[in-house]
Parts: sequence; C-alpha cells; structure tokens
Amino acid sequence: MEFEICQIARYPFIEDAKNWVKKEKIDIQEVLYEPIYERARARAVERVEQALKYGVIKEKALLDEIECMMEIFSYPLARLIVAAVESEYLVRRYALAEAKKAYESLKKEETGVIQKIAREFGIEAKDGMVHFSDYLKFAPTWDIKWKLVNRVMDKGYVELSNDEICRLIQEAIRSKIQNELFYMFAPPDINKIFGELISKLKNKLLAKEIKKVEGISEKDYPPCIKNLIAAIKSGMNVPHVGRFTLVTFLNAIGASTEDILKIFSSSPDFNEEKTRYQIEHITGKISGTVYAPPKCATIRTWGLCFPDELCKKANHPLLYYRLKRRKNELSKEKIL
Amino acid sequence: MNYLRKKFYEYYLKAEIEAPYRIERREFAFLFFNESTMKRHISFKNKEWLLRYLKTSIPAHVYYSSAYYNNPSAGTMREKKWMGADLIFDLDADHLPNANKLRYEESLERIKEELKKLLSFLIDDFGFDEKSISIYFSGGRGYHCHVHDKKILNLGNQERREIVDYIMARGLDYSHVIVERSIYSKTYTKTIEITPSSPGWRGRIARGIISFLEEVKSMEREEAIQLLKSFDGIGNTIAQDIYDGLDDRRMELIREGKIDQMAAIKRLLKPLIKELAVKLHSSTDEPVTADIKRLIRLPGSLHGKTGFRVTRVNLNNLEDFNPLEEAVVFGEEMVKIDVKKPFKIKLKGNDFALKEGVVKVPEYVAVFALARNMANIF
Repeated sequence: MEFEICQIARYPFIEDAKNWVKKEKIDIQEVLYEPIYERARARAVERVEQALKYGVIKEKALLDEIECMMEIFSYPLARLIVAAVESEYLVRRYALAEAKKAYESLKKEETGVIQKIAREFGIEAKDGMVHFSDYLKFAPTWDIKWKLVNRVMDKGYVELSNDEICRLIQEAIRSKIQNELFYMFAPPDINKIFGELISKLKNKLLAKEIKKVEGISEKDYPPCIKNLIAAIKSGMNVPHVGRFTLVTFLNAIGASTEDILKIFSSSPDFNEEKTRYQIEHITGKISGTVYAPPKCATIRTWGLCFPDELCKKANHPLLYYRLKRRKNELSKEKIL
Repeated sequence: MNYLRKKFYEYYLKAEIEAPYRIERREFAFLFFNESTMKRHISFKNKEWLLRYLKTSIPAHVYYSSAYYNNPSAGTMREKKWMGADLIFDLDADHLPNANKLRYEESLERIKEELKKLLSFLIDDFGFDEKSISIYFSGGRGYHCHVHDKKILNLGNQERREIVDYIMARGLDYSHVIVERSIYSKTYTKTIEITPSSPGWRGRIARGIISFLEEVKSMEREEAIQLLKSFDGIGNTIAQDIYDGLDDRRMELIREGKIDQMAAIKRLLKPLIKELAVKLHSSTDEPVTADIKRLIRLPGSLHGKTGFRVTRVNLNNLEDFNPLEEAVVFGEEMVKIDVKKPFKIKLKGNDFALKEGVVKVPEYVAVFALARNMANIF
C-alpha cells in the first residue's frame, strides 16, 4: 500500500514522504529561495511557533494537491529552523508537538493505515495485538494505566485499541524526531531565510533559561538537595526516592511545575511529558495529595544525605533552608 | 593447598561446563578462597580458555555477565559497549517471608513453587518458547532462570523493570483487571465480573478467587470464618456473610465468573494477588532482574559457600529435581572433620546430624561443612 499525497502530508516523517520528495526532484535550495514555495516556508514558521506556544501543531485543512505539497515541504524546513535555534528545550517541545499532531490524525485513520505506520517504527500490530517488547519500547508506562501489569497479555501479545496503538506510535515518532534533531546541523542558508525568527527564538529561549525564580534562593538549599540537582544536571541516574525528595522540596518552597521541570530538563534522558506527569502527581495537581518532603532521617536511610555543619541544627531539609535563609538575610542587613 | 580448594581443583579438572551463549562477548568475574575482592573484567575467547582458567586459578565463585559486550574485558561500561542482555530471574529463599525460620530443604521446596509460578508467567503470559528458558539450581538457596530470546535482548532497564513488575504484581490496579458492573433488576446490584478463562492477570485473579472460595466452602464453618477473618478489613459479620452465602447456586455463578453482593471480595484481592505473584526480591529497590549489566553464576561451576554445583534443571523434570542429590558432586570417601557448629542436612538421600567435635563423614558432607564454615578438616 502506497500512501497518497494527502496522507503523506499528514505524516511527513514517513518513508513514503522521502520517496515522494525524491521522485519530485525538488531540492532544498529551491524550497528555501523560490517565491512559489513561500507558503511552505510560512507553514514551517507556523509549525515551530505553534509547537512552542501550544505544545501541539494544529492540523491544517488541505484542499488540493498543491497545499499538500506545501505541507510536506514545510516539515523539513521546520526541522531546519529548530536545529538552527540550537535549544534542547525547543527540540523536545517540537518533537512532542509533531508527534501529537500525528496522533490526532492517526486516531481517525483506518486500521490498515495505522498498521502501516506502526510497522515503520517496528511495531507489529495485528488484530489489536502488539508484542510486549514493542509495547514496552513506546508505552508511557509511568502512567499507571499503561503499566504492563494492568494490561491483558496473552502469549506475549498485549491487547490494545486502535487509539492506544496510535499512542504508541506517537511516542515512537517523538523519539525519532527528537533523536534526529539532536544530531542535526542546520546549513547556513537557513539563517539567511529565517534569520529573524531564529534569533527571536534564541533570545526568547535563552531568557527563559536564565530567568531565576524570584523569592527562591538556590544557595540556601541543604546539601542533599544541592547534590541531587548536581547529579541530575550531570546526567547521573538519580533513584526514584531522590527525584521524589527534590520535587517535594522544591514544591514546598514555592517552585512551580515549570521551575522544577527546568531542573530535570538538563538530564539527558529527559522526557517532558513524563516528568511533568510525575511532578504534577507528587505536587498534588493530578492526585490531589500533596506529598511533603521527607525528613532528614529518611533521606539518610536512602543514602542521599551529605551533611554540613548547619545540618546538625536541622532535622528536616525545609528547616535547614529556613535557617540558612534567615542567617544569610541577617548577615546581609549587617553589611548594609 | 587447603582441602576445599583442592576438592574444587579436582572437580574442575574433569568438570563439564556449559559455556554461555556467545562466551566471547561476556564478562567473567571471580571470587577466590580467602579473598574478598572480586576479580572482574575478564573475558575468554572460547570455552577451552575458560576451562583452563578454572583449573589453574581454582575460584570459589564464578560469575559471568548476562550482558553481551563489544569489549567485555574493558574496565568501564563505556568502553565495554553494551550490546544486549539476556533476561535473568533470581529466585532466592531470602526473598520469602519468614525465610530465616525455614529449614534449608524446606526453603528450597518453597522456592520451587515460586519457580513454577514464574514459568507460568513466562510461558503463558509472555509467550516465551520453553526452549528459550533455562533453569539452574543456584548452588545456594534458590534457582536462576535465564531467558535467551532475541525479542528481549535489547530491552533497557526501564522495560525490564516493567516485566518484573508484571510478575510481582507491582503497581497492579484492580480497576483495570476487574470489571465492576451495576445491574438493575428490581433493585441495583453491584457485581464483579471475573473471567477465569481470560489471559494474563485478569484470568489469574479470577481463578484465584474461585479456587479460594471453593476452598472456603469445603471448610468447616468455624475454620472458614477464622480464615476469612485473617484478611485485613474482614470482621466477624462479613466473614459469616461470605461463608453462609456460598450455597450451591451461588457457587455455580461464581464459577461462571459472576460475583454478586460481595463487596467483601475486594478485600480478599490484595492478599490473594500477593499469593499469585512471584516473590522475586525482598526489597523493591533491588535492581536484580531489571539490571541490564548484572553478573550471574556460571552453570556447572561450584558455589564456594556450599560446594554444590550450579546445576541445570530440566523443565519437565522440575517436580522431581532434588538439588541436594543432583547438585552434590563430591565422592563417598570418608574424611575426618572437626565440627564447630552442630548442623543437620540431608544429602544424597542420607540424613546427617552432626554434633560438635571430630567425626568421620563422606567427602561430600565434608565439603559442605567446610564451605559453610561449620567445620575444619581434622
């Protein structure tokens, strides 16, 4: 089964899209500079901007073959823009947005189409059954209903609805696009055409990354928390209890989900959607239960305690934070 | 050369070792007698080199990596370059509740029950071919189960953890397994629908509930109520209600998977599921099976703390397999030992109850006693 152009336009990352472009013999220079491709370039900008703003790219009504063509070309252009901005945050957000867009379309497709696209990502889906090894590669198992143990599995095959298979494909698409973009370099031509947008995005994202959260004083964190942050930033595998300690602590001192996400986003295996879910679970936005940070004794048994002098006066990381803050503020006053 | 080491040497001289699949891609690690540091990052290009090493260095414990590496003898993980790993399950008596109260023979029998559950999960739920599953007596207090299948070779830690969670019922959410339904006929009745023929956990739980209720029904009233009351959240009244409600007509419905008016059934679920799950490890943070770079005992090697051989168990012969016969490799020749700590053990079908002091025992008992550090050679 070969896809038609309007289908390719909905899934511009599939093999058929590459083959189609090859067949049409249009090269990137042409799309970048020729006035007739203006629509493709505009849509590329739209893709990136929507991804950043809404976290998903809205589907566009494609009325004729030319619109489909523009839609297809807008995808590689959008990728080049994202690569040129050189922001990990944007790469992740864009990859997720493209994947979500594809998911929304896929849900409405016939089983045959879903199967074909699934196969491109190595997911063999037959009669709503997917092998558990494929399932585990892509299922968001951090969500309780996706845990393998809560699935009906028979002789190695997990029972899934079409929607759920589409959700697996979404994750496969996300990770494919993200991995590709992390290793992609944009040619200098991109900056000539989209220079304004790229520098705008660069400034915006940079400002976002620099902006410190007001009222939170990082230097007053207890050593266990500082250690956890350092470990996460350096890409070490921090155990679940460590992540839990960090999230509950930051939440207690008034950091928002976004602030906490930012810390985790420097971890190399960062998955925004998953981390957000986990943070919102711990901070009570999903579960309704706000978890309190563990006390020092607990942190100690988890092997995460690296005490300093002030720790002797505190039995809870929050107390340490308050003590140190007060101390620092007092000394500030004296200097003034 | 000390006695134990000498005996191990004699064993390795003629030992038939089963080399792991793709031996040249595995890392080996050794522990020696009277040494506490493990010698790691060793690799062998084939079985002959491994055998030669065993004969010349006579290790107390031999391990190899469940993982395949591009460069298995490299010192760091990055240089080793992970290529994939078999799936390994470690069933040890330590993971059983009240493990320390059980006698050695008892704990091995109990672990065998866990092993049977594990095999059912692997074959029925995960669909592994029996040929891809190998079972070994660990030489210590349990069994190892190796799954060699290309489908799981590349799974990472996270994915393996999901497999473990499945088998241990960790994170199991009843609402995904049990279908609750409100039915209207004259009044609303809440029923739980369970289908014993369902695959996976859904069927397991259904069959578990049915056979538990059958058991309750077959018991004397007092006894049954006592048993039911032992569950959390079930008091005298509910226990009586459950037992008295189990008439033949109700039982018939239950066998079909329809459980009505039995909110109390839900209270049975948690402990029942615990029974049905495999007790893989004692603490939840133990990374054993999920670990993609763990070490496992080499089949055919000797366990330095018992002198027993890591022995393959035929899947069809699991019931009859007696490790305390088949993993005992040493001879009958009588040896004098000085027992430091009295102990009882049944080896090769013979009961031994040894008291402190000097005594003559067959070589295979001597090796066990010395390895356990319960005696010295006299």
